[in-house]
Amino acid sequence: MFTNRAEKLFVWMFFPLALLMPLLLDQNTFYVNKLATILILSIFVMSLDYLVGRCGLVTLGHALFYGLGGYLFVMLTPEYEAVNFWVYTFYVLVIASAIALVVGFIVLRTSGIYMIMITLALAQMCFYFFSDSTEFGGNDGVFIYVKPETSVFGLNLFDLDNPTHFYYLCLLSLFNCLLFFKLIMRSKFGRIVDAVQENPERTTALGYNVFQFRLASYVIASALGAYAGYLFALQYGFVNPSMLSWQTSGTALVMSILGGLGTLYGAILGTLVYEGLHYGFEHLTEHWLLPMGTLIILMVLAFRHGLAGYLESLLGKRK
Amino acid sequence: MDITLFLFQLMNGVQYGLLLFLIASGLTLVFGVMGILNLAHGSMYMVGAYLAWYFTNTTGSFGMAAVISAIVALLLGILIERTLIIRLYRRNHLDQVLLTIGLIFVFNALQSLLWGNDPLGVAVPAWLDGAIPLTDMIEYPVYRLFVSLLCILIAIGMYLTINRTRLGMLIRAGESNRDMVECLGVDINRLYTLVFAAGVALAAIAGIVSAPMVSVVPGMGEHVLISCFVVVVIGGMGSIRGAFVGALMVGIVDTFSSIMLPQVSSMMIYILMAVILLVKPKGLFAS
Repeated sequence: MFTNRAEKLFVWMFFPLALLMPLLLDQNTFYVNKLATILILSIFVMSLDYLVGRCGLVTLGHALFYGLGGYLFVMLTPEYEAVNFWVYTFYVLVIASAIALVVGFIVLRTSGIYMIMITLALAQMCFYFFSDSTEFGGNDGVFIYVKPETSVFGLNLFDLDNPTHFYYLCLLSLFNCLLFFKLIMRSKFGRIVDAVQENPERTTALGYNVFQFRLASYVIASALGAYAGYLFALQYGFVNPSMLSWQTSGTALVMSILGGLGTLYGAILGTLVYEGLHYGFEHLTEHWLLPMGTLIILMVLAFRHGLAGYLESLLGKRK
Repeated sequence: MDITLFLFQLMNGVQYGLLLFLIASGLTLVFGVMGILNLAHGSMYMVGAYLAWYFTNTTGSFGMAAVISAIVALLLGILIERTLIIRLYRRNHLDQVLLTIGLIFVFNALQSLLWGNDPLGVAVPAWLDGAIPLTDMIEYPVYRLFVSLLCILIAIGMYLTINRTRLGMLIRAGESNRDMVECLGVDINRLYTLVFAAGVALAAIAGIVSAPMVSVVPGMGEHVLISCFVVVVIGGMGSIRGAFVGALMVGIVDTFSSIMLPQVSSMMIYILMAVILLVKPKGLFAS
C-alpha cells in the first residue's frame, strides 16, 4: 500500500504518535482541540491535493464545499434535537456530491486559468449568499446547539462533546481518507486519472472519456472537502461564511504545496507545518501575515517539491 | 422608478463600471501579454488608496498626493516584476497563484503595520467638491463625474497606445508570440517590466481616485479583485475591449440589482457571469 520509503516512514511515525497524543498531552482540552482542527484541515487539504496534484485540476474555490459541509448540516437538522452522526454524514456526503456534480459540470468545461477564476468566483458567490442571508445569521453565522449522537445499533462509540473522543473521530476519518485515496490511486480508475493528468489527448485516443473521469474526481474530492467542513462545524458548534472565503481555499492550496503536491500524505505534513508556523508567528507578532507571506514567496521560488519531496530526496525514492 | 432616478442610477453604474475597467484592464493586460495571473492586483488598488491618504495628509493637497502615489506605485510595480514576477515566466499557473497569494499576505501585513486597521477617509478636493442638481431632489457629485471622465480619458489613451504606437505594436506582438518577438531583437524583458508596472499603476490609480469616494479600509483590495475576475471572465481573458464591455455590464448590473433586488444583489454579477459562461465558455471577446 505505502510503497515509497518517505511515505512509509511518515505514516508509521505519524499515526501511532497521533494515537498517543491525547495521553501525552494529558487530555489538555486546548491542545487536543487544536490538534483535532489540524486533522480536520488535513482531510480538507488532502482532498484538494488529490484534485490539484493527481488530477491537474487547479481550483481556488474548494472552500465552497468546506463551507457547504457545515451549512448543509445546519439546514438539515432540527435546532434542538440530537440527530444521528452517521446518518447525517451520509446525507451531507450525498447532497454535497450532487451539488459538486452540477458545479463540476460548469467549471470543468473550462481549464487552466479560467478554471481558477471561475471556481473562485462561484465560491465567492456562495460566500455572499450566506453572508447576506438573514436566515443563516449573515456574517455571524449559525450556532449548532445540540451535537449529534453517534450510536450504531445501540452502541455509542464516540461522545462528540468530549474533546478526546472527537479527536479520535477526526484521526479515524483522516486515516480512512488517506487509505481511500491510496486505494483509488491503485485501482484501474486511479491509473486512468493519472493518465488523464499525464496526457489527456492520448487518454482520449485510448477511448476514455476524460471529462467523466475529471467529473468523478471532482465529486469525490468535493464530497470529502464537505465532510471536513461538517466535522469543523461540529467541533466548534457554529458555521459562518468565512469558511467559504477565498482565504480558506488559498491557504489550503499553500498547505498542499508546502507538503508536496500530489503526494496525499504530504497534505498532513503541510497542514501540520503551516499551522505550527501560524501558531508560532501569531505568538511573536500580531502581524503574522508578514513572515507567513514572505515564507510562501520563498517556498515558491526555492522549495518547489515541498516537504515530502525533501523527505524523499533524503531517504531515496524507492523502498 | 421614474426617468431621472433611472438616469441617476445609470450614471452611478457607469461610473462604477469605468472604475472597474481601470483595474480589470491592468489585470487582463498583464495576463494577455505576459501570461501572468496576478492575484495581488487587488492589493495594488488598496496600496493606491492608502498612499493617496498618506500623501494627502503629508502634502495637504490631493492633486499632489495623487501624482506622487501614482509614481510610487509605478516604481513598486517595477520592483515586484524585477525581483519576483521575473522568476515566474516559465512556471505554471499554480506557482503564480501561490506567489501572488504570498504577496497579498505581505501587503495586508504592511498595511496594518504602517497604517493600522481603522477605516480612513480622504476629503474630496475643494475644486471638485460640488454637486450638479438633476432635479429638485437629486444631485450628482462633481467628483464622480470627474472620475468617470478620467477613466474614459485613460481608456482612450490605452486604446491609442496599443493600436497606434510602436510600443503598442510590440505589446500586441508579445501577446501572440513571445519567442518570435525576442528573435526579432526586441528586449522582451524590458517590455514585460513596463507592462507589469503599467498594470500596477492602473490598479493604483483606481485606488487613488476611489479614496475620496469610499472609506479606505483593510481588505478593500480583495473585494475589488473578485469583481475584476468576474469582469475579465465575462469579457474574455486578455482582451482589453472585453474588459471594457464586461466592466460596464458588471457596474450597471451591480448598481441596479442593489436597488431592485437587494436580497440577492451581491450574487447578481456571479449569476451574470455563469449565464455568459454557459453560452460562451471563453468570454465575450476571447481571442
